[in-house]
Amino acid sequence: MRTTRTAQATVMALAAVALGACGSTQHASASHTHETASVAYAGSLEYLNEHVIGPDFARATGDVYEGRGGGSFGLAHDIIAGEISPNVFESIGGAPIAELEPRFTRWYVTVASSPIVLAYNPHTSFAPRLAAIAAGRAPFTELFSLLRTPGFLLGRTNPATDPQGQAFYEMVELATVRYHLPASTTSAVLGSLENPSQVYSETSLEARLESGQLDAASAFRSQAIQLHLPYIALPAAIDFGDPADAATYATASLTLPDGSVVHGHALTLAVTTLGRHDQGAAMAFVDYVIDGAGREALAAGGYTLLRPTVTGTGVPHVVRTAVARADG
Amino acid sequence: MSFAPLSRAPTAREPLRIAQSALAVAGGLVAWVVLLGPLLTLLWHLGPHALVVALSAPDALGPAGTSLLASAVALVIVVAVGTPVALVIAERGGAVARILEASLLVVLLMPPLVIGLLLVFMVGPLTPIGGLLARVGLDATNTFTALVIAEVYEAAPYFVLAAAAAFAAADHDVVVQARLLGDSPWRAFWRAMVPEVAGELATALSIAWARAIGAFGAVIIVAYHPYGLPMQIWTTLNETGLPTALPYAVVLLVVALPFPLLAYARGRHARR
Repeated sequence: MRTTRTAQATVMALAAVALGACGSTQHASASHTHETASVAYAGSLEYLNEHVIGPDFARATGDVYEGRGGGSFGLAHDIIAGEISPNVFESIGGAPIAELEPRFTRWYVTVASSPIVLAYNPHTSFAPRLAAIAAGRAPFTELFSLLRTPGFLLGRTNPATDPQGQAFYEMVELATVRYHLPASTTSAVLGSLENPSQVYSETSLEARLESGQLDAASAFRSQAIQLHLPYIALPAAIDFGDPADAATYATASLTLPDGSVVHGHALTLAVTTLGRHDQGAAMAFVDYVIDGAGREALAAGGYTLLRPTVTGTGVPHVVRTAVARADG
Repeated sequence: MSFAPLSRAPTAREPLRIAQSALAVAGGLVAWVVLLGPLLTLLWHLGPHALVVALSAPDALGPAGTSLLASAVALVIVVAVGTPVALVIAERGGAVARILEASLLVVLLMPPLVIGLLLVFMVGPLTPIGGLLARVGLDATNTFTALVIAEVYEAAPYFVLAAAAAFAAADHDVVVQARLLGDSPWRAFWRAMVPEVAGELATALSIAWARAIGAFGAVIIVAYHPYGLPMQIWTTLNETGLPTALPYAVVLLVVALPFPLLAYARGRHARR
């Protein structure tokens, strides 16, 4: 008897929730056609998109927001294979979007950049020295001798699949040249490209750093801010966050396991629309990120805002207008 | 609902029965095709050419070897640790058995990803257990050991619960008789109980094997390296896309299938 009553209560509660959900959807879309901005985005945007930009966008426009995070190149490959069919793609760098051209899009807008930092756990034995470097109480170059200390647990992502993993590797190369560090620094700090004692999946990396199973790890500044982890900011010339330093970044390079050579480039946040369905919502979302509250949310979340720049052809009118507005 | 005279009943019902059983068979076949849908899609999308290309790539077979070896070690551990637990659950009954069973169900309910994250807290390099393991040369982070540990956690509950069900359903008189005839408990278990439940144990082993070799959620967290087949599929998907990743799924099937088939055949044989 009690079971039945509990079951009834559960069903009624579920029904109430469902009704509530329907109600709010109807309310939100009352003044608008209901379209869905289906956004595939670089994994580092997960928190901002799901908890700030997405919900705010839905409230502001009445459109539905639906997001999916992942590695930028992985997402591009999923789109090409027809595994997913988003109508907005936010990628780290333009290269993953370029892979979709000309079939899915022929343009993208660069809106911000995502500098890399070294995030650290505040409770491990190396934390005081890392904190001293972060605060400028110890010289920045001391970081690299600290990183090569035996027993220092450093984590990073896979350069073969992740732009941040590539940038972090190249950052050490750039620092070695810039600060006249010993030539062995890159190999001593990082080991091989896919060094098994340093390379983790992104999820694992965050979990290990937060649980104190790593002393420090590569991160985007936005991630360190979201996770409330202290971090060492890197000089612009080696943090891959300033397009003005593109020529410097390009001097670093690495050879991927498949034999291809990649050169360093600024880690910019590029956005475009894809496909033909729900283009209104897709355009509205891009507009929101280029010149709406989405732009402010990116800045607050740790991204460096850039003057929006268009690359490619056939840019929709709405996007052109938004770029011009943001510019003016 | 037929009201036909009794004498005509068999001829009137015969077509109905045939139709019913044909319908049942057709329904079963449809369900079978639906269940095998992903597998059929995989084979449909892959020509033999794609498979040959994938298999002839350098390092193509490394992950298959890693997967086979890690899963074999994991299965040995699962059986060694899981069998006593299964026996206790099956034979003790009462509160202890129920608690053991329920707690294993809880582990089973946890998404493998969560198990992986919790394993970081449990056996990470700076934890007491992680420190102990490192001292005996078994680092549990991104190593073969880590891969085995992740697989054990993903597979063990399946084996224990299936084996416990098998032991509970077995005819215990056989074991009792063996004991009366002077067999030691171990010998009685091995000679009387195991043949009695061989078929069900083979199924339990096959399920555990499949869970171990296909383990991914916990593996991607604790053992990003060395690549077994599931991680190989994942990184290849991210590196170069679906067409190059999918053939590894076939490799996984090819290397993973013989064991459960053998176990199944042996189980059937032993039961006779």
